[in-house]
Amino acid sequence: MKQTIACRRYALLMALFNLFAVFSFAQTNFPVTGKITDNGGSPLQGVTVQVKGAKVVTTTAADGTFSLHAPSGTAVLVLSSVGFTTKEVPIENKGQLSITLSTADNSMDQVVVIGYGAVKKKDVTGAVTGMNEKDIKSRPVDNALQAMQGKVAGVDIGTSERPGTVGTINIRGVRSLTASNSPLYVVDGIPLMTGGIEYINPTDIESIDVLKDASATAIYGSRGANGVVIVTTKQAKAGRTSLNLNLSTTAEKLIDREDMFNAADYITFRRWARYYQAPTTYARGDQPTIANDKTIFLATSDPSAWANIQQGWASGTWDGSKVATTDWRGMVTQTGITKNLNVSVSGGSEKAKAYASFGYLNNTGTTKGQSYTRYTVNVNGDINATKWFQFGTNLTVSYSKQEFGQSKTGATTVSSSNSLYESARALFPYAVPYDSAGNRIYNPGGDIAFKNVANEWSLNQDQRVTLRAFASIYGQVDFGAILPVLKNLKYRVNFGPDYSNYRDGTYIDANSVISSGANSASLNKQQTFSYTLDHLIYYNKSIGRHDLALTLLSSQTKFTMDSNLIAANGIAFGSQKWNALSKNYIPAANLTGYASGLLESQLQSLMARINYSYNDKYLLTVSARRDGASMLAEGHKYSWFPSMAVAWRINNEDFMKNATWVNDFKLRFGVGVTGNSAIKPYATQGAATSLFYPFTTSSTVITPGGIPPVTFANQSLGWEKTTQYNLGVDFSVLNRRILGSLDVYKSKTTDLLVQESIPTVTGYTNTYANIGQTKNKGLDLSLTTVNINRRDLSWTTNMSISWQKDEIVSLSNGKQDDINNNWFIGQSIGMIYGYQSAGIWQAADSNTYLAYNTKGKTKFSPGNARPADINGDTLIDANHDRVLIGNSRPRWIVGMTNTFTYKNFELSIFLYGRLKYIYNTGGEAEVARGTQRSVNYYNENNLNADYQKPIYSEGSGDSYYVVLGYKSGSFIKIRNISLAYTLNSKALKTNAISGLKLYAQVVNPAIVFSKIGWLDMDTQLPTYNRGITFGINASF
Amino acid sequence: MNTTKIIFNISLLAGLIAVASCKKDFLDETLTTDRNMEYFKTDAGIQALAVGTYYQVFALPFASEWAYCTMNYGVDEFMVGGDPSNGSWNNYDAGYKSIVTINNGNTATANVQWDTLYTGIGDANLLIKNATASTSTSDAIKKVALGEGYFFRAYCYLHLVSQYGAVPLKTEPSTTIEKEFTRATPEEVYKQIIDDFKQAYNLLPNASAPARITKDAAAHYLAKAYLFRASEINDTWNSAYKAADLAAIVPLCDEVISHHPLTTNFADLWKYTGPDASNEKLPELILSAQFTADVSTNGANTQHLYWGSRYDDISQMQRDITGDRPFSRLRTNYYMYRIYDQVNDSRFWKSFRTKYRLNKSAGSYYVNGDLGIMYVINQPGDNRFASYKLNDVVLYNKTNKTIPNVYVAFPTGVNTDGAMLVDVRYPPLSKHMDGSRIAVNETRGLRDMNLARSAETYLIAAEAKIRLAKLGTGAYTDALTYINPVRARAQFVAGEDRAAYYDGGIAQSPFGQSATINSFIPENSYYESNNIPVTTAASNNLAITDINALPAGDEYVIARLGVSGDYDRMLALVLDERSRELAGEYKRWEDLSRTKTLVPRVKAFNTQAANNIRDIHVLRPNPQTYLAGIKLNGKA
Repeated sequence: MKQTIACRRYALLMALFNLFAVFSFAQTNFPVTGKITDNGGSPLQGVTVQVKGAKVVTTTAADGTFSLHAPSGTAVLVLSSVGFTTKEVPIENKGQLSITLSTADNSMDQVVVIGYGAVKKKDVTGAVTGMNEKDIKSRPVDNALQAMQGKVAGVDIGTSERPGTVGTINIRGVRSLTASNSPLYVVDGIPLMTGGIEYINPTDIESIDVLKDASATAIYGSRGANGVVIVTTKQAKAGRTSLNLNLSTTAEKLIDREDMFNAADYITFRRWARYYQAPTTYARGDQPTIANDKTIFLATSDPSAWANIQQGWASGTWDGSKVATTDWRGMVTQTGITKNLNVSVSGGSEKAKAYASFGYLNNTGTTKGQSYTRYTVNVNGDINATKWFQFGTNLTVSYSKQEFGQSKTGATTVSSSNSLYESARALFPYAVPYDSAGNRIYNPGGDIAFKNVANEWSLNQDQRVTLRAFASIYGQVDFGAILPVLKNLKYRVNFGPDYSNYRDGTYIDANSVISSGANSASLNKQQTFSYTLDHLIYYNKSIGRHDLALTLLSSQTKFTMDSNLIAANGIAFGSQKWNALSKNYIPAANLTGYASGLLESQLQSLMARINYSYNDKYLLTVSARRDGASMLAEGHKYSWFPSMAVAWRINNEDFMKNATWVNDFKLRFGVGVTGNSAIKPYATQGAATSLFYPFTTSSTVITPGGIPPVTFANQSLGWEKTTQYNLGVDFSVLNRRILGSLDVYKSKTTDLLVQESIPTVTGYTNTYANIGQTKNKGLDLSLTTVNINRRDLSWTTNMSISWQKDEIVSLSNGKQDDINNNWFIGQSIGMIYGYQSAGIWQAADSNTYLAYNTKGKTKFSPGNARPADINGDTLIDANHDRVLIGNSRPRWIVGMTNTFTYKNFELSIFLYGRLKYIYNTGGEAEVARGTQRSVNYYNENNLNADYQKPIYSEGSGDSYYVVLGYKSGSFIKIRNISLAYTLNSKALKTNAISGLKLYAQVVNPAIVFSKIGWLDMDTQLPTYNRGITFGINASF
Repeated sequence: MNTTKIIFNISLLAGLIAVASCKKDFLDETLTTDRNMEYFKTDAGIQALAVGTYYQVFALPFASEWAYCTMNYGVDEFMVGGDPSNGSWNNYDAGYKSIVTINNGNTATANVQWDTLYTGIGDANLLIKNATASTSTSDAIKKVALGEGYFFRAYCYLHLVSQYGAVPLKTEPSTTIEKEFTRATPEEVYKQIIDDFKQAYNLLPNASAPARITKDAAAHYLAKAYLFRASEINDTWNSAYKAADLAAIVPLCDEVISHHPLTTNFADLWKYTGPDASNEKLPELILSAQFTADVSTNGANTQHLYWGSRYDDISQMQRDITGDRPFSRLRTNYYMYRIYDQVNDSRFWKSFRTKYRLNKSAGSYYVNGDLGIMYVINQPGDNRFASYKLNDVVLYNKTNKTIPNVYVAFPTGVNTDGAMLVDVRYPPLSKHMDGSRIAVNETRGLRDMNLARSAETYLIAAEAKIRLAKLGTGAYTDALTYINPVRARAQFVAGEDRAAYYDGGIAQSPFGQSATINSFIPENSYYESNNIPVTTAASNNLAITDINALPAGDEYVIARLGVSGDYDRMLALVLDERSRELAGEYKRWEDLSRTKTLVPRVKAFNTQAANNIRDIHVLRPNPQTYLAGIKLNGKA
């Protein structure tokens, strides 16, 4: 939209210019005629044709033709038209010319928000990548983070398929060991203190800009170390009023890449496991007996499951195909439907503007019991009250209700999984949910560790309701409009209150999968209020070729959170859920938790920034920020965060004049210091731990007591600091057919905020300390190529590629590895450390494994997983044989969008991938107590298997099975294919509708390649949702 | 254009804004919801700190698995049951080093005992320092809190020196991060322990046992510390102390015993009927870690989880509250079946669960409430049972139905230990069973954990007498004065139902599960195991009169260990008697370690560890986390 405004202004200017031309007198030395067409060969009407350096001007007619008289045959014509690149054509003594104009790409005039202001993209000095409304709308998403995935180079965003839950985000990798690695979110100029941006309706977002390098993020000082995500919501615009309507419906299905054993295969597997557990007691897996099976499959514990197995014995000899397999997973899944409705209106004049929108999102998950409903309202307006005073507010309110479904929340059982789907996966394929009389079986299969998932969605509720109200209010005084001597001096005050009210209610029935046998309920409420108050002064000055802009800031932020919790078991009757935890129903002895709490923290800052440019060629940005944080120790609260960046617009240099194939070419270099104070409030206060102890003499007296905290209060705790260097280049060449940015960076993080273990002889277990150093380097590339650009057909490719590598330089003991935390000097954060696989022991290796058994007291036998003996001492020991297996964080993150347009159709395909890392799948325990992924396992008939032999156990079976579980995690998947059809008012033959877009999209249609066959490495689960969306986008 | 003027104006404005918005105290952080360390300097804070340290030192260790790993694993009495999560602690295998190899999330790490004890010492140091500095003249501060402080510190160091030998000695609270420590000799550590217990003994009153630390508790532990210092593990340096230490023990014990008479019926100690039941207030108890139902109290006794054997995966059985969650960590060794006079000594039958009621009947023959599982703990030479496992064979004489599951210690023809070891079944120790938990899978247990009772005081005195006799003071028979009362209490009295049995299962909680799902049955397999006619006569006198003709169980152990001589025979007797009386009460490993009998007894009776244990295992290695965390002269 900003782009269009710029274009309109340009048109106006040109029109004025034309007016002058009418009154000029042309010299008549050399007549020229010509025809101007666009790339597709269509004639262009209204193109301004001017003789360079003269006042001779004309415009093209409807058929694209023009004629004029040039002063000479060597003159140069300048051709310009709105929406097209201005072109200079030498006449070269030709009387007739045929000229093609190419569509302008005004990307360099796009405005980029850089924090406390915005600059044109051509003037940016830091590494800033953004996405506009069109990119955000290109995929149906529930939240802005989903929209950014794979689209912004250098930003790694994970996927969560639970409705209403957002994935993780890292910008340019990680650098903190234990402090937070999540970025700072800034919405309409206000840095968020409470949560992320998931509450914002993505259709209300105008643009997202990501500040990646320290020269850009240092403007946010102490909170800039992990990058800054700046969200600008749609603002009212002067001019035409408009109404926009978006409607879409998505249907999704859960796809599971993991094959579990069917009943027959599992039964065989478990027999083998029993055989290998006790070969003298149990028969071989391929020689079953019914008597053995009775014990192995707990015949009397669950007669219904046994009845199913008995079908396999009906003929007297075993026939596994007769045993029915229960589809437990199918029982808990459903077709997920997402309904999305958005209406927005905007309008106004130069004096007053307003924008309002309403959004409704309803997402029923693909797993039963999960859903998410969100209502959002956004209202904003600006009023130019006087010539010198402008006032505006922006209010976003969202209300969301998330049915979280089964998770570990509130779990008190033997074993529980993160989701209902995982619980269902754990159930025995030969067991059945109901007995022959129709009664629900509590433990299908008879093992206490596995509970029936049937009807779980009505036995377990975890409902999370969030009300979030966020406002950004500003007043701006233009002193120049009051006193001419103060021209270009502006004062602005921003106030950003942010309120959030969160309520989590859980009710767990006694029969729920995650219950220990008693029913329970809890109610957890959190109320947070934070505000940011900024005072800003802006001053601009141009003297000759020098342009100077100054920004001064004084800011303060306060965060308050109060919370309360009540939890109890023995709820009188189920319909009460968490709503009647009162003394009328719950005896005091049934309370399992009650709490209230208060957290407060403050931040105070001063900042100054100078943007300077010379002749539109040399750009300089210098900033300094001083931040103070309340949670740091007295005397260590404040720190400076300076930054500097330079840019050189090489294409504006004279020597580039002849390189007409280069449209833009800018070199950038920046350096800055940013901080991280992400420790909890009161960490330096040494809060005593309070408790009660019951002294029972004749009666029990609950007596209050206290002990020192386990964490020693470090009174010299200061800021973690990151210094980052960034070298970047922005380019566009060949009539902007190829354009992009390439950035390389290197950063060093010092004084890491780490919770350090200290010798407990002190009486304390750990402390927060500033110790150690990490470094990080990487490369981000964004590239757009226009491969085909014809009238009816175009093909554009957008790519984002990032590579990063982090490294630990030093730790609390200097250059010594910290094995307890998996931290190794010179290695990446998140290394996997363990025994290396040497395959599986075979009977032929008996001399070798017996030597290990004798010397190392191991119990190796054929079929066991074989760890590599690194130092070759015939001992497998933790000190000498564990090695670095690999890096668990992807080195490469790639995204590619190919967009094809043909007439009114647009087809877009988005690929996303993460490459070059190791994922610890955990191996296959194969203890056979539970059910099992269908794996190629070792047994007497299958000696060259992928996995070790199964050994039945209620604890752990094979001692080293984990070694077989390290796999390359690389994958590339097609995330989205979208097809859209656009109609304008002309085609619609009505003026009531100005534009209509119909679209259909397929989400997660395919995985192009993945090294791990049974996992979707995007979700890091075996499952993902595949869906199809239909939508309408109408503007009036 | 007057640039200077503009810049001046901007600066002025900027300055004004900066001044206006920067309140000086804006960044002050005030903690309003918690107290800080200053509180512990006040009189109320000193008392609160004492109470908090009760939790840290007494209650906290019983909330996790390391308690039994460090005390009851790797000894003669118990070994690994069905679940090997902490197997390395028993087996002394490749995984048992300064880093214990993690099997799964339940594995106790090498450092957790060390860390918990030193945290307790840190709390005690602060308590001692603040109580000493207090200007209060109140006895509550100057005597009770201070005395408790000394007791806590000595209690923790006694465990540390018993487990690790030489350890760093820290007697002042830390006010900065310290990383340089050196280990003190056991001699120095024992000196500190004994000084501290003496202080506690002098300061503390005798009130509110066993919840509060009393003068008697201090006396009991002081006697124990003297005994430990005089034990074999310290023989390289303790000769100068031995005579005086041993002489000091008996009067201390006499004093404690006079205030804490033995409970008449051994079973009453374990008759837990609900939180804070009368069995937790018996006069015999000297000191207990306190737990109760009130959820506001910190800490949970989870020890009920670890001792049970699997009963819920057997035919027609299911898990219930009264049978506990059978984590099967600790298997009762044959040693325990052999050392009792099973006919006349009631303690085995009152310490182990040998019968389970059927609680998930199937078919028409059995109904819930029938006898479902029975362990027959017979002796070699019994030819009544064909196999260690008999399903639906053995008749239960009360109902005349067969019993679905019977397990037999010595089936026909098997005269060596171990027939039952092929399976995960064993009669579990029932001293910690807890039916008062709120749900079948609830881990939070509510029973108190007994730390010291006067039966142990008797045995401390007995051992001191044996050691004195070795030094030439008194005779070995003097020890019998202290052993025989404990044995006398173990006899069945006239009129007693010898098959009567109770454990924590009788505290069955009304929550969560139908009361009819109940595997607890108030009887044991006394008659089925001993194969004698029902009698209500008093049992034979268990008193030992001749040290050359010890009870058969002890002579069996002595023969297996291959020891001889009065002293070694008497030491074996007292260690056996400790097993009979105190099995599973979180003491055994230290007793075997200090007497240097750990290696021979484990080799003789713990089949899982026998091949692995070596002399270095007499003490535990300092945890790797400590070794990696300390520095010397500023360097790691």
